[in-house]
Amino acid sequence: MNETLTQLEAADFINRSFKPLPKAYGDALVEAARADPRIVALCADLVPPTETDLFRDELPERFHNVGIAEANMIGMAGGMARCGEIPFCHSFCAFITKRVLDQITMQAAYPNLPVKIVGFLPGIATLLGVSHQAIEDVAIMRSVPNMAIFEPSGPEYHATMVKLALDWDGPVYLRMKRPETTPDEFTPRSLEIGKGMIRREGSDVTIITSGLCVLESLKAADTLAKEGIESRVIDMASIKPIDQTLILESAARTGAIVTAENHNIIGGLGSAVAEIIVEEGIGLSFKRVGIRDQFCEGGTTSFLMKKFGLNSSAIAMATRQVLEKKG
Amino acid sequence: MNVKHNLQELTNIATRLRLHVVDMVAPSGQGYVQQGLGAADIFTTLYFAEATMDPTNPSWPDRDRIFLTTAHNTAIFYATLAERGFFDVADLATYVTDGSPLEINSSERMGSFVEATCGSLGQGLSVAVGCALAAKRQGRASRFYVILGDGEMQEGQVWEAAMYAGSQGLDNLCVIVDYNFVQSEGPMDLVMSLEPIMDKMESFGFACQEVDGNDIESLLAAYDLARETKGKSSFIKANTLMGKGVASLEGLMFHQLRFPPEVAASARAELEAQL
Ligand SMILES: Cc1ncc(C[n+]2csc(CCOP(=O)(O)OP(=O)(O)O)c2C)c(N)n1
Ligand SMILES: [Mg+2]
Repeated sequence: MNETLTQLEAADFINRSFKPLPKAYGDALVEAARADPRIVALCADLVPPTETDLFRDELPERFHNVGIAEANMIGMAGGMARCGEIPFCHSFCAFITKRVLDQITMQAAYPNLPVKIVGFLPGIATLLGVSHQAIEDVAIMRSVPNMAIFEPSGPEYHATMVKLALDWDGPVYLRMKRPETTPDEFTPRSLEIGKGMIRREGSDVTIITSGLCVLESLKAADTLAKEGIESRVIDMASIKPIDQTLILESAARTGAIVTAENHNIIGGLGSAVAEIIVEEGIGLSFKRVGIRDQFCEGGTTSFLMKKFGLNSSAIAMATRQVLEKKG
Repeated sequence: MNVKHNLQELTNIATRLRLHVVDMVAPSGQGYVQQGLGAADIFTTLYFAEATMDPTNPSWPDRDRIFLTTAHNTAIFYATLAERGFFDVADLATYVTDGSPLEINSSERMGSFVEATCGSLGQGLSVAVGCALAAKRQGRASRFYVILGDGEMQEGQVWEAAMYAGSQGLDNLCVIVDYNFVQSEGPMDLVMSLEPIMDKMESFGFACQEVDGNDIESLLAAYDLARETKGKSSFIKANTLMGKGVASLEGLMFHQLRFPPEVAASARAELEAQL
C-alpha cells in the first residue's frame, strides 16, 4: 500500500479501533460518591487505567488528577481525610504502595484516616515489566498497622470493593485488576470484611487463594477432581483482616493446605495463612504457590502465569505434592 | 563527538529510526508511536553524533552515559541502540513479544547500554547525578545525558535531584527534557503545567537553553554549548512534536495512540518517501 492518509482519515481509523472495556469499579465509585458527598477521587495521571474517567467527567469538582506525583497525592489525601473527606487514591499497585510507603504510614495509617488506596496491575500481570509489577505490595501493606487489604478475583467483585473500602473505618488497600478482554455477562457479587468465600467444596485438601489465582485454583481443582482429589477452594479476597476461623477449620478438616497468589511467596497470603496455622500449633502438609522470590519481566498474563509458576498446572502440581506428604 | 557530522546523513538516520518505530509498534499496537516519532531527532543526535561510546564494549567505564528515564519510549530507544550497533537490527522484530528482552519498558536485563531501569518515572535523574558525581571524583571525562519526560518532571524526586546537581555545579550533566507537552491524561495543561520551566531550572542553578527538539542542527549546537559550559549543569528544553515526520500523525496528542494497520501502512509510506 502506498496510499497515505490525511489527519482526518487517520483519526477516524484510530477512533474506530477503540474498544472500551467495562469499568465496574469506576461505575461503583461514582455511584457511591453520588450517595456520600464526603467521597473524593484522586489519581496520579493514570485516569482510564484506573477506571476513574467516569468520576472525572461526572463529578469534576470532586476529582483531582494530581499529576505524576504519587507521594504528594497520598499526603494530600491525608489532609483531606483530616478535614472530613473520604479520598480514594488511584495509580498502579507498584507506585501507590512501595513508592509512597512512608506517606501511607505517617499520613494515613498512623492517624487511622479513611484514605483508600486503590492500585491496578497486581503482581506480575502486565506487559509493562518489572517497574510496573507489584510482587511485594501485599507483604508491605500487610505489615502496616490499621491497614486492610482486599483483592477481588474478577469483575463481579469489583463493585463490592468500593463498599468494603467504605465499611472499613480506616485506611484500605484495594488490589485491583482490570479485565483484559470484555468479560462474559456477570452478576455483581458481594463480599464481607474478614470472611473467606468457599468457591468449591472438597475434603482432601484446601487451596487458599486470591485475585488472579482464584480462577487458576478452580481450574486446578477441576483437573484434580478427575484424579479423584477433592479440593476446597477458598477465595480469600479479604487478605487483611483474614478469616482465621475458616483457615483453622479447613486445616482441621482437610489436613493439607496449598496457598496460591500472584505475589512473591514472601510476606503475602501464603505467609499470612502459615502464621495462623503455626501459631495454633497445627502440623499439616503445606505449600505456597507464588513467585519464587525473583524479579520477573513483562509479558502477556498467560505467558507470565506459566513461566513464573502461578497457573492452574503449577497449583495442581503443588496440590499433589502436599497430598503426597499428607499420605 | 568524534566525527564531523553530515546533516543529511543524520536526517536519514532519524527517518530510518522512525520507520523502525512504525514497524515495531504496528504488529501488536503496543508501544508509543507518537513519542517515538517525536523524540527521533534527540536520539539520533545523542547516539550518532554527541555521545562517545563503543558498541563493542558497552560497559567501557569512560563512556558517556545516556539515561532514558521515560523508559516506556522504547520503540525509538531500541531502534537507536540496534542501528548504533549494540544489538542486531533483526531483534527489533521481537519487540513486546513474550520472552523477548525488548520489553515495552526498558530494563537493564538487556545489557549495560540500558544505564538504569527507569520505568518508575522520576528516578533516573538521581541515578545520573550519582554517576556524574562519581565520575568527577574518579577524574573521568565522561558526560551524562538524561532524557526526561515533561510529565515526568511532576515527580518531586526530579526536583530533589536537580537541586543537588545545581548546588554541586555538575557540569558533566546535561538534562534534555523531551517537551512534547503530553502526559498520560493528554496535554499537560489539563493536569499541572510545568511553566515557567526555564525560570525554574535556572533558579535551581542550571544553564538553560530552549531548542526545537526536531531540528538536528539546533540540538547539536545546544549540546556543544552545554559541553563548553563550566561550573553548571545544563538543561535543554527540547520542544518536540508528537508524531513528527508523519503528516497524518503530527500533533495528535495521545499518550498511547492506537495504531491500526491502515494508519501504520500510511505512516510507513510517508516515511519511506523521505529517505
Ligand atoms: C512513578 C510512575 N507513575 C506513573 C507511571 C505511569 N506512566 C507511564 S508514562 C506516563 C506519562 C509520562 O509522560 P511524559 O513523562 O511526558 O512522557 P512522554 O510519554 O510524553 O514521553 C505515566 C503517567 C509511571 N510509569 N511511573
Ligand atoms: Mg510528555
